[in-house]
Amino acid sequence: MARYDIEEVRRRFIGLEFAESRGRYPVEHDPIRRHCHMVEDMNPLFLDPDYARRSRWGAVICPPSGWLAMYFASLGPWPPVFEPLLPVVPTPGKRIVNMAQEVEWFDVIRVGDHLSVKRRIADIYQKPISIDPEAVWVVSESIIRNQEGKVVCVVRNTLLFHRTPEEVAAAQEGKEA
Amino acid sequence: MKRRQPYWEEVKVGEELPGFSLQINERRMYLQASGTQDWYPLHFDRDFARQAGHPDIFMNTGFMQAALVRVITDWMGDEGFLKKLYFEMRRQQRPGDLMVCKGRVVAKYVQDGQHIVECEVWAENEREGVTTPGRAWVVLPSRQGADDTG
Repeated sequence: MARYDIEEVRRRFIGLEFAESRGRYPVEHDPIRRHCHMVEDMNPLFLDPDYARRSRWGAVICPPSGWLAMYFASLGPWPPVFEPLLPVVPTPGKRIVNMAQEVEWFDVIRVGDHLSVKRRIADIYQKPISIDPEAVWVVSESIIRNQEGKVVCVVRNTLLFHRTPEEVAAAQEGKEA
Repeated sequence: MKRRQPYWEEVKVGEELPGFSLQINERRMYLQASGTQDWYPLHFDRDFARQAGHPDIFMNTGFMQAALVRVITDWMGDEGFLKKLYFEMRRQQRPGDLMVCKGRVVAKYVQDGQHIVECEVWAENEREGVTTPGRAWVVLPSRQGADDTG
């Protein structure tokens, strides 16, 4: 099997940009409600239209979560549509773990906004973890805008791609053979 | 009824944010999938998680972020604005854990006309200690006015 060449992968993919894509639907109440439900968040700015209307924001707003912003700026898990994102980076392992996220906010997201996202690959490097000495880390940057073209947030995400212990053992046996 | 509103002048470095705790159990795993729409099996399929080398399924990034965001938004009031949040998924919250989420003010300053409070935020459990350390930068209203979001 060909040796994984991290330098070649870095040369080919760091800086790669994807076409801007628009969320399937505008920002809606119910996904916000479900998001709040999982962590028992009772904040009326996120849940109560009457209360939120009287606030400085003028409408129900999203909890400031980069995850939720990405959800509204994307096509979502159903119907299935291929969104070219990080799996385009070749990696020895296909198992994924999210390791870190930084979200910088410039405005709130309101119910009714329609978000879009432009993504790029910011960094790729190899760093061993306990279950895979050849794990690959991929840093992406997603710029999320509202329907007026205003940047509402920038999400920098670090994903780890690793092999299963069986795959690591098989690769080791292959090297020794 | 309006919620309590902290002002920048009244916040003290070292002050603790109230925080909260949540039991991580089967029901919470389902709520996680519903709330994040993350259907990667690592977070609900024990065989898949163990085959990948993990001891068990664990809470995903969207869930952990929502919890850390709640620590901040519960505290910062209706006028506060979360300017930036950084966090790391270092260890795991698994079924059976009691997840405790906390925060603490570590700095306050005025920058570009904004009254900023910097906070450590984190999630922890008895089994692994701090699982998800983070840092938040929050703009709070000032008693002197002239403060806003980004």
